[in-house]
Amino acid sequence: MNPYLLPRFETQYDINDQEFSISGIVRPQSIDELAPSIALLKDSIDRVRGILYVNIRRLTQMNNTAFHAFSRVIIDACRARPDLKFVVITSSVVGWTTRKFGRLSGIEPNITVEEYDSEFYPGQTFLEEGGFIPILRTQTKLTWRHERTILPRHGMQPGIVMADICCGIGDFAVLVQREFEPSRIVALDHARTSLAYARNVAAEFDIKRIEYTYGDASEMLLEDDQFDLVTCRHSLQVFNNPKLILKELFRICKPGGRVYITNEKNSHCLGEPRADSIQWTYNEVAKLWAHFQMDIELGPKSRRYLIEAGFEDIRVESFMITNHDGDPQDFADVIAAWENVYAGEMATKRGDPPAFIRRFRQGFQDHIFAALHPKGYAGWPIWVASGRKPL
Amino acid sequence: MGPVHHDGAGEPTFEPMIQIDMEIKAFVSAWRHCDYVSTYMARMISQNRSDSVRHSNLFSSAFNELLEVAFRMRHADGELACRVSRHGATDRIELTFPCVPEERQFYEEAVSQVAGSEARERYLNSVSGDLAPSREVVLLELAIDYNATFRLDEAGADTITLVVDLPLEGLPN
Repeated sequence: MNPYLLPRFETQYDINDQEFSISGIVRPQSIDELAPSIALLKDSIDRVRGILYVNIRRLTQMNNTAFHAFSRVIIDACRARPDLKFVVITSSVVGWTTRKFGRLSGIEPNITVEEYDSEFYPGQTFLEEGGFIPILRTQTKLTWRHERTILPRHGMQPGIVMADICCGIGDFAVLVQREFEPSRIVALDHARTSLAYARNVAAEFDIKRIEYTYGDASEMLLEDDQFDLVTCRHSLQVFNNPKLILKELFRICKPGGRVYITNEKNSHCLGEPRADSIQWTYNEVAKLWAHFQMDIELGPKSRRYLIEAGFEDIRVESFMITNHDGDPQDFADVIAAWENVYAGEMATKRGDPPAFIRRFRQGFQDHIFAALHPKGYAGWPIWVASGRKPL
Repeated sequence: MGPVHHDGAGEPTFEPMIQIDMEIKAFVSAWRHCDYVSTYMARMISQNRSDSVRHSNLFSSAFNELLEVAFRMRHADGELACRVSRHGATDRIELTFPCVPEERQFYEEAVSQVAGSEARERYLNSVSGDLAPSREVVLLELAIDYNATFRLDEAGADTITLVVDLPLEGLPN
């Protein structure tokens, strides 16, 4: 098929949500090319009462010809039907959309523009405050001991083009670059504080060839079929819709390339002595995360998720971080940070009674006790899975 | 940031990054060329920006509009030169293309109006009006939404260079 003729945008109307959405790249030479979409917008307007949502979160590009054509219809509708309101939903990731569409609210008061932002993800703010950064670094230090030997079995090799999605503070990308020297790393995250930290580290240590970018993993600006390896660590478990993220990871991966994910199953954290108390607390962690629409039990489900997302040659393995991986105090520090966030913030926000929180905290304390005990053993299991995108 | 170099006229020195020259005939043979050229050049010059993906998207968005303006002139002959250079947080696009005297006058007027105090109002009026966006409106939008500044340079007989400075790196997200 002639690539010049391929449509690269899509418009849809969802009657249940009263939402008209435009996605992709809309750069027509004349408005005639938009006729079916304009007709759909007019039809949508005719059908709605109250508010019509215009969703442009997945709109990557739109030239002025198209902008004027769609705007014209919306402005005319405002004038013909004062009862109707328009809410345009833009994305904080696509830099121009809010500025461009924001002008419309200056023309017609019935048009408002709302910028969609990462704050819409339930629960994640617990894990993205600046105070959590040191512990994220320690976690990566602990997991890296294992992952550096695991990664080559999942597609990591020198010279590849890779993306680290939900890169957090970027330390994994830095470690990968030093160890494996990929030709290019794009590291994406939706937390500006984490990215600022990552950029500072990169500048301080003169780290090149890592491009840190602000983005939403569920709708990235990155183009299709770009990367030999796409990594997404400890993140599917944090999203309320992991399938949506996987779809995006699949999209940006090259055919023949691999997507590599790591996730936990927190209820399988263990320790000796005081095993029962530890076990009880981590079972409760799983319930607590579920309350905030996150699945900290996702690890062993990775295989199913990858198969259902369309990957082939699925490879799954697991490893156990223990108090014997380096300094036991590092492991203890990680558990202490979990206690602060899970028992100190999340359980409080859920409205748990003091007696529950006391017992909940005790399990973490017992896990720390096991980690630091000269004869003790403390473990934190992690599942690694990768799949190949079909050629 | 390194030391700022200025040329003889007192303007900071813009370091060249990439240039594409095309026969006008080849350029106007397919509308999609505007998109291809703007996307390709945006990717090339954004690699070392603080957020390469965001910068590339913004740059492509602005540059495509300028290329579409050049495309719609429909000159039969001559060359189109697209040059991008950089000074600090500002990327400079220089578009050199054939231009008859009437068109030169249009660009001179458009560039002076873009810099005027009523630019924003003129732009909003155009968006709420019935007419399709004119070349002048495209320039107005770049000034308002991308903080672009414009200048016209002589580039020889029947040729002009439109110089557009885009401070995208400093744009708030």
